[in-house]
Amino acid sequence: MAKITLDIFRFDQAVDDIPHRDKVALEIPETITVLDALEFAKAEVDGSISFRRSCRSAICGSCSMNINGVTGLACKTPCNTVLRSDGTIAIDPMPNFQPMKDLVVHMDPFWDKYTRLKPYLQPPDRDEDNPTERRVSPDDMKKLVEVANCVMCATCYALCPVVSVDPAFAGPAAIAYAYRFVEDVRDGQTKERLGQINDDYLWLCAHCYACSYCPKHVEPHDRIVDVKRRTVQESVHMNERGPRHALVVNKTIKQTGMLGETEVIQGTVGRFNIRGLLKVAPLGLRMASKGKLPPIFLRPIPKVDEVRTIFESLEVPTLK
Amino acid sequence: MIKHDVVVIGGGLAGMRAAVEAAERGADVAIVSKMHPVRSHSGAAQGGINAALGNREDDSPLNHAFDCVKGSDYLGDQDAIEAMCEDAPRQIIWLEHRGCIFSRLPDGRIAQRPFGGAGSPRTCYSADVTGLVILHTLWEQLERFKVKVYEEYFCTALCVEDGVGSGVVAYNLRNGELELVTAKAVIFATGGLGRMYAKTTNGYASTADGLGIALRAGLPLMDMEFVQFHPTSLKENGVLLSEAARGEGAYLLNADGERFMFKYAPNKGELASRDVVSRAEWTEILEGRGVEGCVLLDLRHLGREKILERLPQIRELALDATGKDAINEPIPILPGMHYAMGGIETDKNGATRIPGVYAAGETACVSVHGANRLGGNSLLETIVFGARSARHAIDHIKSNGQVRPSEKTLKSEQDRMSEMLGRSRGERAPQIRKRMNATMSKNCFIFREKTQLQQAIDDLRETREAMKSVVVMDKSKTFNTDLVGTLETQFLIDAAQCVATGALSRTESRGAQARTDYPERDDTNWLVHSLAWYTDSAPRMDYSRKVTFTKWQPEVRSY
Repeated sequence: MAKITLDIFRFDQAVDDIPHRDKVALEIPETITVLDALEFAKAEVDGSISFRRSCRSAICGSCSMNINGVTGLACKTPCNTVLRSDGTIAIDPMPNFQPMKDLVVHMDPFWDKYTRLKPYLQPPDRDEDNPTERRVSPDDMKKLVEVANCVMCATCYALCPVVSVDPAFAGPAAIAYAYRFVEDVRDGQTKERLGQINDDYLWLCAHCYACSYCPKHVEPHDRIVDVKRRTVQESVHMNERGPRHALVVNKTIKQTGMLGETEVIQGTVGRFNIRGLLKVAPLGLRMASKGKLPPIFLRPIPKVDEVRTIFESLEVPTLK
Repeated sequence: MIKHDVVVIGGGLAGMRAAVEAAERGADVAIVSKMHPVRSHSGAAQGGINAALGNREDDSPLNHAFDCVKGSDYLGDQDAIEAMCEDAPRQIIWLEHRGCIFSRLPDGRIAQRPFGGAGSPRTCYSADVTGLVILHTLWEQLERFKVKVYEEYFCTALCVEDGVGSGVVAYNLRNGELELVTAKAVIFATGGLGRMYAKTTNGYASTADGLGIALRAGLPLMDMEFVQFHPTSLKENGVLLSEAARGEGAYLLNADGERFMFKYAPNKGELASRDVVSRAEWTEILEGRGVEGCVLLDLRHLGREKILERLPQIRELALDATGKDAINEPIPILPGMHYAMGGIETDKNGATRIPGVYAAGETACVSVHGANRLGGNSLLETIVFGARSARHAIDHIKSNGQVRPSEKTLKSEQDRMSEMLGRSRGERAPQIRKRMNATMSKNCFIFREKTQLQQAIDDLRETREAMKSVVVMDKSKTFNTDLVGTLETQFLIDAAQCVATGALSRTESRGAQARTDYPERDDTNWLVHSLAWYTDSAPRMDYSRKVTFTKWQPEVRSY
C-alpha cells in the first residue's frame, strides 16, 4: 500500500465558469492503474468525480486522459510508473477537446473527422457478384489488421500540435483510418478517399512524431506518411502545395545533394503564380538585406551520385 | 419527445447489427446507448466467430449445430440452434462484404481456427481482436446509413401501453434530463451482467441493464443460473486471455507441470468445453496443485512469431498485468466470470412475451447456449439474432401500425430519480455493490451447494433492502455517472437474485451449473428452462417452458 494523492481537474459545464482542482488522498497499492485509482476515489471518497471508462483492458478507448501532462489510457498506466516524487498524480482531461465534466470531454469534433471520410467499404463490384468472401491475400489483410487495432481513444488527436492550432486538420486517427480503406484491395474509392483526406489538410502534418505515442501501436505517423505517398503515387491533388512541396524538396536534394530553397519556394508556390510569389517576395528581400538569400542556382555536391542511389533504392516518387 | 419506428437499446454488436438490418430495409431506426457504440464491450471479444464455412476442413451447419447442442448439455432449444448455425455462413459473408478484416488463408479465403468443444476448425477470426473489427465494421455501416445514435443516454425503463411495448425512458447523461423515446418496436441489446461478480472478464458497463428493465416491466428472465466461467482470465484484474490461445495450441499446466486436462477430457484436453475446463482448473487448485491460486497457461512452444502474429493482444494484456511475457514464461490464470447464458426470454425470432419488445445478444436467452456456451458462438449469436430480431420487429410494425405514447412511465421515472437524488443520508451504491459482489463470488461460483446458495439469496435480499435508501453523492446534471452507477447496481441485484434463486431451485448439475449436492444431470426432471419473474421480494420461479428437441436426444456428455 502506498499513499497516493490524485490531483484532479474539476469542472462542470452547467455551473462552472472556470475549473478548479481537487486533491484526493488515497491508500492503494501503487501497482494498480490510474483508472483503478480513480474508480477507488469515486467509490470511497467522492462520487462526483466523473470520467469515461468501460473495458479496463485497453480495447474500448474510453479512458484517454492527461496523466501528469501526457495523454494516455488510464487503464494502461500503472500508478507507480507516473507517480511524482511528492506522491501525487495530476489528472486532466485530454487537451484539444472542450471539457464537459471533470475528465469527460466533448468528443463530437473527433467523430466528425471520421464521418467526413465516408468510413465504410465501397467496393467496385456488387456483393451479389461475390457468392462467397472477396479473396484477399494474408499479407494484404495483415496491413489492415495493424491499423484495425486502433481503438479510437483519441490519444493521438489530443497530443497533436497541429490540431491544437488548426482544428480543421483531420488529425492522426482519422488519417490512419483513411489508410485502412486506401490500402484495402476490396475498396474502389481510393482516389476519392485520398482527395477527401487531402481536403482535410493531410499536408498540414508537421511530422513531429507526437502521435507515435499510440497505446495500441498503430503508429499513426507512419500511416500519415503512407497516405501522403499514395497521394503522390495516385497523382491526387497535384496542384496543391502539399504534394508539390514534398516533390520539389526531393527533386532538389536528388539533383544537387542539398536543399535548393529558392527552387522549393518556386516549386511549391508555382513558378507562374505571380501573386503567390509576390507574397513571399518581402521575405526574400529581407533575407537578401541580411545577406542570407540562398543561392538561386546550386552546384551539385561531390559524389552526388551516392545521394541519387539512396533515392532510387527508396523508390521515392519523382516530380513529373 | 424522441420518436422512431424501431429503437434499439444498446450499441454493441447485437444492437448495431439490428439497427443496420432495419436501416437496410428502410426503417426509421435509432440506437439508444449509454456509451458511444465503439466503446461497447463486444469489442473486447478476442478469439473469433463460428460459422461452418468449411474453409479448412469439410464442415456443415448441422455439425456446428450438434456441437452447440452437446455444448449446451442438451438444454439449448434445437430449433433455434439450427437456425443460428444455418444462418452463420451467410452472416460471415455479409460482414466480409462490408469490409470486415478477417485473417486469411494463403488462398485468400477467411481463415478458421479450432475452438473448444468444436468438431472442426470453424472459428473465423482477426488475430485476437475479432470483436473489435466486427464492432468497427458495424459502426461503419451506421455511418453509411446515417443511423441516429442517442449516445450516452442511459435507458431506465420500458413503456408498455395496453400490453404492447411503446418505447423507453432514457436519461440523457449530458444534461441530466429524462426523455421519453416512443417506438413501435423496442429491441434490447444491452449485453451482459458480469459486474455482479467481484472478478469478471466483463467491462464496467456489463451491468444487466436490459435484464433489470425487462424484469420490472413484467418479462421473465430465462436460465439465469447458467453463468459461464471462462477458463483463462488473469488473476490480477480478471481480464480475459482468449480461448484462441488454446485453439492455437497452448497448454494448461498445474504446479507439477502436468497437462492436467487429459485427466478430465481424454479426447479434447485443453479444447474441451469451457464449463469442463473451468471445473477441472478449479479442482486442480482446490486439491493443492495450483500455483499461488492459479494454473498456468503455457504458450511458449507456439514460438515468438506465431504469438506475435495471432495472439498479440493477449500477450500484451498479460505483460501489462503480470509483467510476464508469454513468449518466455507461462501465464498464471484462473477461471473468471465471463458470460451469462441466461437472459430475457425470447423465441427464435427474438420476440418476448410483450408484443413489440425484442431482445438479442447476451442480454437475450433464445436459447442457443443452453447450460453452457461454446467459444465463438457469442459473437455469432449477436449477429444472427440482432438481424433476425430487427426483421421480425419490422414485420410487427407493419401489422401493428400505431402505439399510443403516454407520459405515465416518464412521470414515474422522474419521481423515482428525484427521490433518489433528494436523499442525503444513507449508504452509497458502491458499498452495497461490494456486498453483492462478495456473496456472488463466494456463494454462487463454479461449484454450488444449498447452504451457500441460501446464504447468497439472504445476502442479496439485504442488498435489495439497502438499495431502498441508497444515496447518490453526485447531484450534478452533467455526466452524472454516480447516478447511473446506482441505477446499474439496482439492475445487477435484480438479476443476481434470479441467478442465485435459479441455482438453488435447479437440483441437478448441467453445463455451467455444478451442484456438489446434486452432482448428476437429471434428464427426467430438468429438461426444462427456468423462468424467473419479478416480485417485490425474491423472484418467482416457473418451469413451464420445455426444451425444444429436433434431431438430437440427450446423451452422456464427454470430451
